[in-house]
Amino acid sequence: MFKNILIPISSEFYSKNVLLRSAFLAEKFNSNLNLVYIIEEKTFNEIDKIVSTYRTVADKEESKRELISKQIQTADQIIFDDAKQILKDKQIPFEEKIIEGEFTDKIKEELNKKQYDLILMGFKKECYLNYRLFEEVKIPVWVVGQGTSKKILAVCSNLAPNQKVPDLSIKLAYHLEWELNMLYVIDTEDSVYVDKNGIRSDIKTKEDLLSQGQNFVNEMRQKGINAELVQGSLEKQTLIKAEAIKANLVIVGREQKKKGILGLPVKNLKKKIVEKCKYSILFLN
Amino acid sequence: MDEKKKKIFDKGINISKKDIFFIILAFSILIIFYILPTPEGLTFSGKLMIGILLMAAILWITEPIPLAVTGLLVMILQPLLGINDAKTVFSSFGNQAVFFLIGAFIIAAAIEKHGLHRRIALRFLSFFENNPRYFTLGIMLSCALLTFIMPEHGVAALFLPIIISILIAMKIIPRKSNFGIISMLAVAYGCSIGSLGTLIGGARNPLAIGILADLETPIIVSFFDWMIYAIPVVLIALPLVWLVLQFAFPIKIKDISKAKKEIDKQVASQGKLSIKEYKVIIILILTILFWVIFSGSSYYGLGIIAILGSVLLFLIGSIKWEDIEKRVPWGIILLYGGAITLGLGMQGTNIPGGTGAGIWISDKLFNFVGNDLVIVILAMIIFTIILTNIMSNVAAVAIILPIGLSIATKIGINPLLATMVITLSGGLAFMFVISTPGNAITYSSGYFSTRDLFKAGLIANIICIMVIFAVAIFYWMGILNLHIT
Repeated sequence: MFKNILIPISSEFYSKNVLLRSAFLAEKFNSNLNLVYIIEEKTFNEIDKIVSTYRTVADKEESKRELISKQIQTADQIIFDDAKQILKDKQIPFEEKIIEGEFTDKIKEELNKKQYDLILMGFKKECYLNYRLFEEVKIPVWVVGQGTSKKILAVCSNLAPNQKVPDLSIKLAYHLEWELNMLYVIDTEDSVYVDKNGIRSDIKTKEDLLSQGQNFVNEMRQKGINAELVQGSLEKQTLIKAEAIKANLVIVGREQKKKGILGLPVKNLKKKIVEKCKYSILFLN
Repeated sequence: MDEKKKKIFDKGINISKKDIFFIILAFSILIIFYILPTPEGLTFSGKLMIGILLMAAILWITEPIPLAVTGLLVMILQPLLGINDAKTVFSSFGNQAVFFLIGAFIIAAAIEKHGLHRRIALRFLSFFENNPRYFTLGIMLSCALLTFIMPEHGVAALFLPIIISILIAMKIIPRKSNFGIISMLAVAYGCSIGSLGTLIGGARNPLAIGILADLETPIIVSFFDWMIYAIPVVLIALPLVWLVLQFAFPIKIKDISKAKKEIDKQVASQGKLSIKEYKVIIILILTILFWVIFSGSSYYGLGIIAILGSVLLFLIGSIKWEDIEKRVPWGIILLYGGAITLGLGMQGTNIPGGTGAGIWISDKLFNFVGNDLVIVILAMIIFTIILTNIMSNVAAVAIILPIGLSIATKIGINPLLATMVITLSGGLAFMFVISTPGNAITYSSGYFSTRDLFKAGLIANIICIMVIFAVAIFYWMGILNLHIT
């Protein structure tokens, strides 16, 4: 399933859990791991702006050089060293490299260079990097969180095509030997239906959406999957259910929730879920 | 480069829609103040000065243009709007404190060029390498002591690679270790607190004495006077903020032997003091001695001694003009110019038939806080600390000090007391990355998050409000009688 896994680690945030999870997946799926340490350019730009009046160009360049050299040392002596300890003991093949640039841009460049099946990464809310890759990459993104149970929560809704999530979650549950829980949310904040091509319909009645949801749940139950139908805000219901079953992994699909209220942009759904959910999340893009 | 930041004008200039919005907002406020009827008791010029003050505050907080350019704008708007003539505005730029700043930057450039600051830093740190907690105290003390002779942001930039090297040697994972968090915050807070101690640490200190020297009844504060007033705040605040860090982020590690090894390695790599370094040390000591002994004199003065020290560095070949071009941040001098003219504009718009902006605002403020001196001092400290956390601390002092001086006049206390309260509070920007270059520089290490900074900074700021308040009441007023005119 996950033959080649890309593991981007930003200079803004590193979690050893990502490496531990990568070892777990590599063992299960016989994966090749590619560790990329990204020296975050955006941090330098923001800091440069703040200190611009107080420090000369030469001062700033000198500091930047020193900082980059220290970050390379951090990658070599701490992060890659951890990787060697965790992965080499288990004889898991991996490659490592250090690049400088903007997090999402560099990940997209890497995806163009090689065929990857999964991005495995950590997340930290209080960072300069904005994680726009959740929306901009086409392959699954696994954001590593807490959780020790062997339960998967797969989330479907009226706002997603619901094609990839059921298929992949069934396969994943089978390979990992974890319990699969399916949740179908009728999002009461956005009463439309999203078709197989990801196109949003006109506003639907509650009865239409309920019937659609019930059909989906029945279909899953016929396959022997524990499925549940709920109504409410997609993100809230997802978080409530994840907490209730103490999920190890929450799988979310291509949700097409409207992007604004009264035409004003609001924080995207995926980032909102990652910020609030303490468990791992797998976005199927 | 953030993709949302669109290049609007041409390839060379990056300006976002957000920046344009703030520029338009700032100028709109000035235009509104120009159009609005003048309130009773305020002069037309005073009204325009309030407009310039608010415009500058918006530009200094949101920074759509560099801080120094806002400073220049503040300068030219006064003659353009007919508030003060060009001669008056630009003459304030000839203030001795400007030349003190230039001289201090040149001396700091010589220290940096010869790596003397690194040697001093490592030597200090080596005294605290026996215990993780004392090591973090050592970082704070070392930073604070160095800011007595160098600008605070230079000290933060110096300590950043030194501390990262030590943390890497100790295998401390960024953002995962309280020891890493405290070590970096100790740099940021040590620099901020230490910069209060002398006139060199932060540009807001010479700005304050520059404004005092330009008052109708000038008040001259010497280098030594400043130290007498400010050092107690440093001595009290430093250990208290260190304790705050220890409680906020309890250190779990016990073994610091790798840090000791790394420091010893770096100390050894420095080698022996060179003749060039000796020369800089001698000039530095002489300059500081002259500042301490003679800076109150009308013939020597701060600026004269600073420039004398700088010229001596050239004469003995310790520094070249290329070093000045490379290391002196002229932007601060321009920011300073704008700040000092703003202060004088706020003070100098009093004419018969109406009061100036400073007095008028202080009148309005009295309606809120009353004229109880103790409450006024507390309000000044709190307001300055809030403002300095969301904008450059020089700019924060430039905005509040003129109002503070008017308040001092209004309640009949010595402007020196208001100046010390506001200027020292202005250096305590602990809560956000944007608050001060020291926070931003240390944040770039990746060892603490914005949340860690806010958590520690909020408590540290509350503690420092109490420290400055206590020093103001018991030391400045109780012992030094600074409030008496």
